Amino acid sequence: MKEPKIQFEKVLKAYGDLKVLEDLDFHVDENEVVAIIGPSGSGKTTVLRVLMTLEGIQGGTILVDGEPLNVMRQGGRLVPAGTAHVRRIRSKIGMVFQNFNLFPHMTALENCIEAPVQTKGLTKAQATVEALELLAMVGLTDKRDHYPSQLSGGQQQRVAIARALAMRPEILLFDEPTSALDPEMVGEVLNVIRDLAKSGHYTILLVTHQMGFAREVADRVCFFDGGIVVEEGTPDDVFGNPQSDRLRHFLSKILEAT
Amino acid sequence: MDWRWDFTLDVVIPRLWEAAGVTVYATFASFLLALVGGLILMLLKTSKNRIVSIVVTEFIELIRATPLLVQIFFLFFLLPEVGITLPPLTSGIIAIALYNSTLCAEVYRAGLQAVPRGQWEAAMALNLSAYRTFRRIIIPQSLPPIVPALGNYLIAIFKETPLLSFVAVGEIMHASKLIGSEYYRFTEAVTIAGVFFLVMSLVSAQLVRLVETYLQRSIQR
Repeated sequence: MKEPKIQFEKVLKAYGDLKVLEDLDFHVDENEVVAIIGPSGSGKTTVLRVLMTLEGIQGGTILVDGEPLNVMRQGGRLVPAGTAHVRRIRSKIGMVFQNFNLFPHMTALENCIEAPVQTKGLTKAQATVEALELLAMVGLTDKRDHYPSQLSGGQQQRVAIARALAMRPEILLFDEPTSALDPEMVGEVLNVIRDLAKSGHYTILLVTHQMGFAREVADRVCFFDGGIVVEEGTPDDVFGNPQSDRLRHFLSKILEAT
Repeated sequence: MDWRWDFTLDVVIPRLWEAAGVTVYATFASFLLALVGGLILMLLKTSKNRIVSIVVTEFIELIRATPLLVQIFFLFFLLPEVGITLPPLTSGIIAIALYNSTLCAEVYRAGLQAVPRGQWEAAMALNLSAYRTFRRIIIPQSLPPIVPALGNYLIAIFKETPLLSFVAVGEIMHASKLIGSEYYRFTEAVTIAGVFFLVMSLVSAQLVRLVETYLQRSIQR
């Protein structure tokens, strides 16, 4: 059996007494597209944040390609992971944030070449060629010299996706990528994500409230509540035939709202 | 009012002109030291080592809770007691720099805090090193709020330099007091000293504004 791309083993994440993730077991296969749904405070965004190493965990192990994120092997013993180890694994992962987090003092193009030049050892010319291809892919070639403040929310998020792709990640994390957008801009961003999901080149974790979209693009849907996976399965199973009361309750609330 | 132009032109202005050099020197020397000192204090204060952080925090409190004049006297009269004898100007510059570095430290901290958390996270997700994150992402964004505040301190330091006259540093206020007591005439010397401060403050304020505009254009769009 092929080992999973991402594996959470008994992961514990707590803020003081508040346990956000509790003994979480969770895995994602290579090039699988997994949608994570759940009420706010269910820990679904935290899954992405601890995987991106934006936050540490208090217990358990997270493995990427079978390698633990938080510990490493040194002389046959396991020691806390050093910076180089973390950065090497982190370089496989790209993240798209709810609030875009573009660098406001850089143009769209500069946002996309900053990290490849600094961390991948590309020359500025090489990075520019690649970045322009990516900006073309998200339909923003003509905005290359615009600053984030000159772009709409949807355009900013598409630049942010291009910026993440410029690092040539194997894993893409989308943290509620359309939640901060005006409704008329949601479509343009979802189109880009849909293309990435269908391309089959990326392992994708998508935290979203867009149930229709999750059902359309995901291979598997995980319903989080209280820091654990309450229910998971194919989109048709999860949305069409929910087993647990909590999921049924959640879905009915979502349907009410839309 | 009894104002004598010949006295003003022949005695007051030439002597104050010389002393003005000392004032300007003391101002910029303390300002530059305070800029560096503030950075060091801020880094130590936010250090992960709790003892270092607590000691520095208390030290900053101590400096800010006592008058600058007391600190100037303290350095000037008490350092020789422990075997360090500095010229009045040097110890005065150190005192002013120390006092203002505690203020600068706060400015730096506020400037860094003004950069949203998401910027740090984006830099981390893009695997930028700590140095690159500071140099390319954080510092360019924290300069626009920091620079005007630091500019104000430059002007404030400038107006604090007359305190050095208490330890007989030959800056402009000291020179005008000397002229006054030599000739039993204070009007001209003190007035010209005041005019000098007024002009220099206005010029510096304009300079600071120029730097601000430049930064705004080149960094924050």
